[in-house]
Amino acid sequence: MKIIKEDNKQFLKKDSERDLFTHHKKYLGTEVPEGYFLKSKNQILNKINTDIILEEVNEVKKHFVFWIRPPYKYIAAASLVFILSLTIWLQKPYEEDILKEVNTDLLMFSDTVLIESLLVEENEVDAFADITLFREILVKSELFEQKIDNLVFENLILEDSLIHNYLDDGLIETIIL
Amino acid sequence: MGKDAELLKKLKDSSLKEHAFSELLDRYQERLYWHIRKIVITHENANDVLQDTFIRIYKGIHNFQEKSSLHTWMYRIAFNESIRFLEKNRKKRYDNIDAISESNLEVLFEDEYFDGDEIQIKLTKIINEFTQKQKQVFQMKYFDNLSFRQISEILEVPESTLKSIYYKTVKIIEEKIVL
Repeated sequence: MKIIKEDNKQFLKKDSERDLFTHHKKYLGTEVPEGYFLKSKNQILNKINTDIILEEVNEVKKHFVFWIRPPYKYIAAASLVFILSLTIWLQKPYEEDILKEVNTDLLMFSDTVLIESLLVEENEVDAFADITLFREILVKSELFEQKIDNLVFENLILEDSLIHNYLDDGLIETIIL
Repeated sequence: MGKDAELLKKLKDSSLKEHAFSELLDRYQERLYWHIRKIVITHENANDVLQDTFIRIYKGIHNFQEKSSLHTWMYRIAFNESIRFLEKNRKKRYDNIDAISESNLEVLFEDEYFDGDEIQIKLTKIINEFTQKQKQVFQMKYFDNLSFRQISEILEVPESTLKSIYYKTVKIIEEKIVL
């Protein structure tokens, strides 16, 4: 590379408003095919157009698969959660439901009482609370009594039938013997 | 830079984007090509990376926040694309590239678009012996004619450090070429 030899130490200090191709060819020996940059420009523009068309096609495809789009996804997820919750709720025992209902009613009732109690006389609140408690105790004791009765009644039936069976078997055996 | 600002305005306007992008290619394609070529070595690789770079520029131009000049931003994309290309092809971290500088030279000498004579090969070998940072700084400053401020933005290295690296590399080249 004669130029470098001629320029000796000065070649790095030269200023640089220069043709890049010549510069690279001159110092590094690298070159490009003839008409490369024009060809490359067209390739890049074509590639970009192809990419844009592909993106548009993908956008259209996305529109077709409507249920994958975010709004539909959220609706589907919410529906699924709702169905699952409903299933779990329906599977709970009946008695628990009744108790829950009673408790909710009582809670709501007691809230109302508490709020109202701020506005009424103390003796009236006491009287009201007594009545409410009395009713609750009465209902509970009534239910308890019913349960006991049922239990005793069932036992009686069971015992009677066993006694009958026993007696029948005993009598038959006695008669046969 | 006034022309760049005008061009950028057109690039961000969807009705003018196509035409402006063609203008951008005319203005920067060759400069970015040579920048990429010095990193990925062969013409074929540089061609692939150049295309990817411009596609990335096209897609990202709306997000360009103008914190640096358009020129510097594009150089940065080209630089990152080149590094990504090398990482993908060699399946190694770019930090290790110093260790394979010899194979870089082999690749260069085998490239059909390399036609260096004795002195050019000597210069290439000297540059190839630099550390990766020295090589990048020297090439960006000397061959790509970037300012220290621009190189600093691209490589994220302080200007003072860059100046020190550059003058050191120049000194090494001058000594070795003269010898």
